[in-house]
Amino acid sequence: MAPDSLSLDRILNDITTTNNLQALNHTLKNGLPKESRETILSSPLASGQDPLSVLDLRQNTLGVLYIMSARLNATNAPVQPNAVTTFCQTFLPEQARLAPERVSLLAKGIVRLGQQHNNMSWAIPPLYHLLTRYPPDLSYLTSFHYIFLQACLIANQPAAALPVLAVPIANVNTSLSELTYNDNLMYHYLGGIVLAVLKKWAEAEEYFEICVTAPGAVPAALQLEALKKLRLVQLISRGEVLPLPKYAHSALPRIFKNSIYTDLINAYPQNAERLHLLLDKEKQTFSSDKNLGLVTQAIDRAPRWTLKKLTATYVTLGLGDIARVVGIQSEDEVRALILSMIETGDISAQISASGTVTFSDPPPQFTKEEVDSVLYNSQAQSELLESLEREMARSKEFISKAIKSQDSSWAGPGPDEEMYAMSGAWGDDSMFG
Amino acid sequence: MDVDIPEETGQSSTHYIRRPNLVLVDDAHPFDLDGYIANYTGRTAVDRLIHIISVCPTLAPEAFQLAVQHIHQSRDPSLYQQVMSAYDAISGLSETPLPSAMDLAQLDTRWADEMMAKNQAERSKLEVELKTYSNNMIKESIRMGHRDLGDFYRSVGEYPTALKHYTKSREFCTTSQHVLEMCLSVLELLIEQRNFSHLPTYVFKADAALDAASAAAANAKESEGSAPAAAPLLNKRKAVSEDRERVQSKLDFATALSSLASGNYQKAAYMFLKLGPAKDFGDWMGKLIAPGDIAIYGVLCALATLPRSALKTQILENSTFGVYVEQEPYVRELVEAYLSSNFKTVLELLNRYSSRHALDLYLAQHVAELTNMIRNWAVVLYFQPFASIKLDRMSGAFGWTVEEVEEQVVALIQSGAIHGRVDSQNKILYAKQTDHRAELFARAIKAARGIQATNRKVLLRMRLQQADLTIKAPKGYNSSIAELLQGD
Repeated sequence: MAPDSLSLDRILNDITTTNNLQALNHTLKNGLPKESRETILSSPLASGQDPLSVLDLRQNTLGVLYIMSARLNATNAPVQPNAVTTFCQTFLPEQARLAPERVSLLAKGIVRLGQQHNNMSWAIPPLYHLLTRYPPDLSYLTSFHYIFLQACLIANQPAAALPVLAVPIANVNTSLSELTYNDNLMYHYLGGIVLAVLKKWAEAEEYFEICVTAPGAVPAALQLEALKKLRLVQLISRGEVLPLPKYAHSALPRIFKNSIYTDLINAYPQNAERLHLLLDKEKQTFSSDKNLGLVTQAIDRAPRWTLKKLTATYVTLGLGDIARVVGIQSEDEVRALILSMIETGDISAQISASGTVTFSDPPPQFTKEEVDSVLYNSQAQSELLESLEREMARSKEFISKAIKSQDSSWAGPGPDEEMYAMSGAWGDDSMFG
Repeated sequence: MDVDIPEETGQSSTHYIRRPNLVLVDDAHPFDLDGYIANYTGRTAVDRLIHIISVCPTLAPEAFQLAVQHIHQSRDPSLYQQVMSAYDAISGLSETPLPSAMDLAQLDTRWADEMMAKNQAERSKLEVELKTYSNNMIKESIRMGHRDLGDFYRSVGEYPTALKHYTKSREFCTTSQHVLEMCLSVLELLIEQRNFSHLPTYVFKADAALDAASAAAANAKESEGSAPAAAPLLNKRKAVSEDRERVQSKLDFATALSSLASGNYQKAAYMFLKLGPAKDFGDWMGKLIAPGDIAIYGVLCALATLPRSALKTQILENSTFGVYVEQEPYVRELVEAYLSSNFKTVLELLNRYSSRHALDLYLAQHVAELTNMIRNWAVVLYFQPFASIKLDRMSGAFGWTVEEVEEQVVALIQSGAIHGRVDSQNKILYAKQTDHRAELFARAIKAARGIQATNRKVLLRMRLQQADLTIKAPKGYNSSIAELLQGD
């Protein structure tokens, strides 16, 4: 049927015999006609054998990657889930990096397979291995980072994503993986959601913030969603909202201002009555934004923040007075609230038998180890900044720009001076860092 | 003819003005209408009376009579309408029925008709004059024509037209002296009109013109008087600077008023306190303002915003301002009580004269705010030297109930003015004791963590930008977002 050069047997032959991986990648990528490439790759051998059983999953990583990704995304070419899992555990990253687009395809295929078997939990280990083995380390962003998080969320196993989320993204390399701005937004947005589900508020806040402040000429709808969630998370964990960094897109807060969330923030936390009214009235909107859970949590925690503010003003206060200010009817509830806050370390207080609460604020204590670790981190940070600065000073763009400005104006501040000024500024930064 | 209204005299000192638009005048809150209005002449007297009529039912009939008398001396019969409507409005609000306006005073209709005719005639005359000047293209005459028309319209109360003519005259100004004159006229007009937001613009223009004018004057005098001896030259220079100071006082006054109106009380205080002597103001004194007003405005603003040392040097040791203070002796008492930390007296005085303040045209809107600020300052100052104090002692010192004191103190703690905490069971206020060493550690560590996190985020942002992964608005952008949103 198909000419010899296009059959899978021939390709298989190439895969097993070649020594030149670049050439092989080229053949696989461009040697096949576009329309029928996926079909050919996902067809069985002429002998009816499964090509994957013939190939060595480790040595022939590139070939397997092509065939497996094609078959996972085809409708009539089943793959053994075990083979996928084994491949993800054993593939050679160096070979896989030759075909980043196939890796993304593979990741999507894994999710598809999980969906087909209605068992998303299965997809998590192979995706995790793929994610940890493919990039040089976890600080590199890839196009299937968010696919992994999505799988974790669908499988309702958010904790599985923690090892990945623990390493913040610090490197972006487009040759490692075909990235779009959406990969970054999605990853940090979903990361925020995962962490919020796990009630790791501080980390969730950071992930949402990165999504909100992603660079761009226009704000993305996803950023607005992230901003809504960011605000709610801040209300839950801090009782107030913090200003966005200056580099956030200026249109975002403007759009946000018109949403009901602004009302919520303004009424938070004192105005308990209004908060509940707002929740009743806007339940529909909150739940269609998928924020109802966060909103409810925030409102449930409102009395805590009111109470916490009281500790800054009063030394002693009766339970009845607290109940009145916080807006809770029964003293027993207030007592329970205070006890739970004392337990979690939000406040330090004592309740006497007569129902008088005495607040105290012990000065913060730091151990020597904590101070040491902070200092160590600062030093590491300043070293990092210094190395970055040198890297930049060496970079082609910087040097060409510096030379250009040298040519254009002798009178103005020369590039050297600029560089000194800059290094001074960086030095200052790193000192504080 | 003070009418005693029995209720409310029972001193609920903090919330004296229940309804901000009604002012009570009785034995506890005296106000001498005749003495007050005698300080003013012309239009401002009527304006002030209208204000009094519209906020104080007790004084309204008397004020109404006075207003009608003053209108007869002015050139603007239409003022009568304003007075009438203010009076009608207040009779509607007042609990005790007020005598009908017709019984109190009537406008002399013959006078009104005559005045209208006279105004009409003068207007046509001035307009014709201006037209002739324009045809002849004599700059100086055109300027004077506009100026005269501006003055005329102002006197009959047509402010927008007056302003138009004043500003038009600017195009025909040939010397900075003329510009200065124009600016001062506009300022006077704006103050009369109570259009404070525009004052700074003209003050600024006038300042520039003043600089130019005095420089030119100095030059001229120097060139003509290069031969004569040094002494007369010095005199002339002095004359120039005196001239300058006079104008400067007017400008400062305008700035002070606009700061007061915009709620910038500190700037207003400094401006009022550095005003020159009353004679500098020329006809502004009485036409716009009375010396007593300056004393009151200045002292209230200063008490609300300035630190003690400044109060001492700027008010008590300031001989120029002292002259103003003499006009209103209670103001000096107020300052002295404040400086000797006798806050009960301060608050009593403020309360006693609150009607005097509320009936003032310019001050009325700010009295509550200023009184509040003074009270807050007083509480803060009182607590400063203590590590802990019983609230009932504070209540004695301020003349409040313990509950009121607690309310005040709690509000001040929450706003951050007092660093302390209240023991609400034993009614004691404690000053906050901070362990500075521990706090420093906490802050340093917090800052370190914050900066690290920020650095990391900024670096990621930089990387994204380097890789050109910035958000663009391509086609299909919306659909991809919709898809993503389904994903979560």
